[in-house]
Amino acid sequence: MQVRPAPAASDICVGMQLPPLEVVASVEKMKTTAALLQDPNPIHFDVCAVQALGLGDRPVNQGPLNMGYVMNMLAAFTGSHDCLRRFRVRFLANVAAGDRVRATGVVTALRASEGLSGYLAECDVDLSIVGGRAVLRGTATVAVETAMVAADAIRT
Amino acid sequence: MRTGTRASAAVPVELPESIRAQVGRRFPGGVYTVEPYRAWLLADATADRPEDAIAHPLHAWLAATAGMGITWDELFAWFEATAEDGPMIGEHETELHRPVRMNRSYKVSGGIVSVVRKRGRTAGLFDLVEYQLELHDETDGGHAATCRNSIVFPRRGA
Repeated sequence: MQVRPAPAASDICVGMQLPPLEVVASVEKMKTTAALLQDPNPIHFDVCAVQALGLGDRPVNQGPLNMGYVMNMLAAFTGSHDCLRRFRVRFLANVAAGDRVRATGVVTALRASEGLSGYLAECDVDLSIVGGRAVLRGTATVAVETAMVAADAIRT
Repeated sequence: MRTGTRASAAVPVELPESIRAQVGRRFPGGVYTVEPYRAWLLADATADRPEDAIAHPLHAWLAATAGMGITWDELFAWFEATAEDGPMIGEHETELHRPVRMNRSYKVSGGIVSVVRKRGRTAGLFDLVEYQLELHDETDGGHAATCRNSIVFPRRGA
């Protein structure tokens, strides 16, 4: 079984920045994803199609992959993918093969998780091309253990 | 499908009846099984480490769209469009009521929620289609996830 490293998060409080995550968009991953999603759009694997549509000369990353990078940042923060409760994003721009993107986030609220132990952390999340434009922005809710939350945050 | 455009500042335009009539239309639906090799490949595609029991949360979206019972081309045709028109993802929301698990089967259901036509200064004329899909665990009927999505259809020729 793959074991995810211990979460980077401790002393979680409102305003805390999530550890960022960087990924380089890979055309080989786009080809795999096109097959998995049964996505017929050739802009994800055929440079000629990309050029014909005036979208540059590199294949365009699938939007869901861009979401996946942000989900990975959240899993690294909480320690597991099963902590994700809600994820909402708006797509703003394309990512092309070879682009380096950075997922970032900040905790905007903490509240007790109804009926369960632990807390729910509301986060603003963002994916941007390093040194370039924003790709997507949105919000996410993740479950965090009480031990990961700053004592001051619990008291207030 | 590539990614979207800023739609919020655009001005609403009247829709053709044939497009408006799609609101409320239900997907045929189906059943999607989270096969480990697909979970592995999807996690790897996002540059993540595949796990044994829990699928990457992106698999909720994959399960929902793969199990909706029609192809992307058929969905585009409901809105008198094709992949060559360049449809784009606008927004996406997933609510996970429980993790998506390996080797589980999920019943997929859903339909078209809304359609609006707008004209933007830079985007030109486009239709914004919202659809929603639900995943229910076939083992116990439990609600696993809700996916809400929007597609932007450019209407260059309209």
